[in-house]
Amino acid sequence: MAAEGGTVEELGGRELPPLRLERKLIREAQRGSRDALADLYAAHWSQAHRAAYLVVHDAAAAEDIAQDAFLAAVDALDRFDRRRPFAPWLHRIVVNRAIDWARREALRRKLDDPDSLAEPETSPDAVGGELMEILAQLPPEQRAVVVLRYLLEYTPGEIARMLGLPRGTVNSRLRRGLDRLRDLVEVEG
Amino acid sequence: MNEAGLRSLLREAPIPLGEDAERRGLEVVSEAFAQGRRARRSSLPRLALALAIATLLAALLLSPAGAAVRDWVGDVFTAGVPDAEPGLTEIPGGGHLLVQTPAGPWMVHPDGSRRLLGGYRYATWSPHGYFVAATSGHTLNAIEPDGTPRWSLSARAPATYPRWSPSGFRIAYRAGRTLRVVAGDGTGDALVATNVADLPPVWSPLGLGLIAYVETGAGIRIANTETGQIVGSAGALDGIETLGWTTDGSLLLEASRRSLALRRVTMSKLASNLHLGPARPVGLPDGATVRSAAFSPSGKAVAVLLGLPASAAAGLRSEVALIDTASRSPRRIFAVRGRLSGLAWSPGGKRLLTSWPDADQWIFIPTDGRGRVRAVDGIAAAFDPGKPRSSSFPRVEAWCCNQPPGT
Repeated sequence: MAAEGGTVEELGGRELPPLRLERKLIREAQRGSRDALADLYAAHWSQAHRAAYLVVHDAAAAEDIAQDAFLAAVDALDRFDRRRPFAPWLHRIVVNRAIDWARREALRRKLDDPDSLAEPETSPDAVGGELMEILAQLPPEQRAVVVLRYLLEYTPGEIARMLGLPRGTVNSRLRRGLDRLRDLVEVEG
Repeated sequence: MNEAGLRSLLREAPIPLGEDAERRGLEVVSEAFAQGRRARRSSLPRLALALAIATLLAALLLSPAGAAVRDWVGDVFTAGVPDAEPGLTEIPGGGHLLVQTPAGPWMVHPDGSRRLLGGYRYATWSPHGYFVAATSGHTLNAIEPDGTPRWSLSARAPATYPRWSPSGFRIAYRAGRTLRVVAGDGTGDALVATNVADLPPVWSPLGLGLIAYVETGAGIRIANTETGQIVGSAGALDGIETLGWTTDGSLLLEASRRSLALRRVTMSKLASNLHLGPARPVGLPDGATVRSAAFSPSGKAVAVLLGLPASAAAGLRSEVALIDTASRSPRRIFAVRGRLSGLAWSPGGKRLLTSWPDADQWIFIPTDGRGRVRAVDGIAAAFDPGKPRSSSFPRVEAWCCNQPPGT
């Protein structure tokens, strides 16, 4: 797990606090410390936002989703069990909302124009490159497990619990996602 | 690509506006946290709490930073939907509605009766409501209000966004990435522009065969559909989704998810060119998302539907506001906790219709501050009879014409 253990790890360009420090921040935030909340936010925003963006491929939606997840965290802070790490709980909200958004968007596009691709169009200039174009060609559910596994470093078992899926489904989505990415890279390359 | 390469790419792919998003998010989250703490700590009675919040708001609004949002918190505020009517038995204020559903467009008559026009995807009224232009796959069709096809035209690419000219003599539509125009009787189909962005074009209300559209990667273009010449151009808002043109031809509206702007349009003395002035942005509340925007029939106001960020205290909110086109000052006329979608002006501009899918309601909002908000329940079932509630809520395309179509 990213936040477990006593060391600081770097993920998505942002250092995550060790679990002990995180517990302290949560305890202080539960007591009303705005600074502690800001530290928690600073530690987790970047990953949450990045994960949302990599699933939805829409900057405004990713911002809304990440913001929404933090607001849900603030709302439930008093009930939060400090023995558990914060990140998986936050990421679960982010990724599930991102999947919902991507599905709705795909449906909306399909209804608007049945002849169009169900996935959003991406522009290399707008979204930062080839990876995004390739990732955009995966269904949102596959994108989500790829992001959870290879950006956020969750195990397939943890991903299964976060998404409420059988572990076999997670494994097969990962396998299909990776195969598809390899195929696409080969074709693109 | 191996797994290490994928990890590296996922971690390093640039995220647009990441730092701004982080700052905005922190402001929202921090404020929600502070409000939540205050609410939980307080043992004051409700009145005292309300006074404290009012004081906080006053302090915010009197600060220079708050000045921009001052107008957004004044005037009318209506929470929730009062006394919804159980079914669609009339259209408040009269007129006819064109409503898009997965099965196709429906016409709704003033008494609430309705008819499915056929399996079309995009539909629009003719100027007086005598016909409907609608697309289906690669075809553009003109149909009568009872659903009888009048003519049909095949395009080489998927046809979308039909728009009837104010004169009634032309229909513009998007075919693939091109903009084309055909005569109202289905003849003389001609290419007007290529590389056209995915949003509806808008005809000049002054006639002259002028039409505004967005050229992908270039900006707004105004073309003379008779000659094919570009007679006006300007940059467009990033991510533009809506274009509008006032009935007097003097203003263009541009809307993207995050911004709204008005642009003055002036015509050269010989009417051969249009000058498009600078885009003047309309101030929006922090974090607001523009879901819909449209000029009023008079052109004196823009109705805008905004989504506002969720807060721990209030949840997601939606607001409908009117923006005066002269002063660009807003006036909120309706707000709910929840997600509203779509806006349609009544033909006379006295009402706005918006949808609240989660509540299964249409909401008719008076725009002059007089009269009551009316809500109608059971909308999903009205357009999908005999079936459980559909995941796709009926979308109001347009509200037309007080005289019965076809008369």
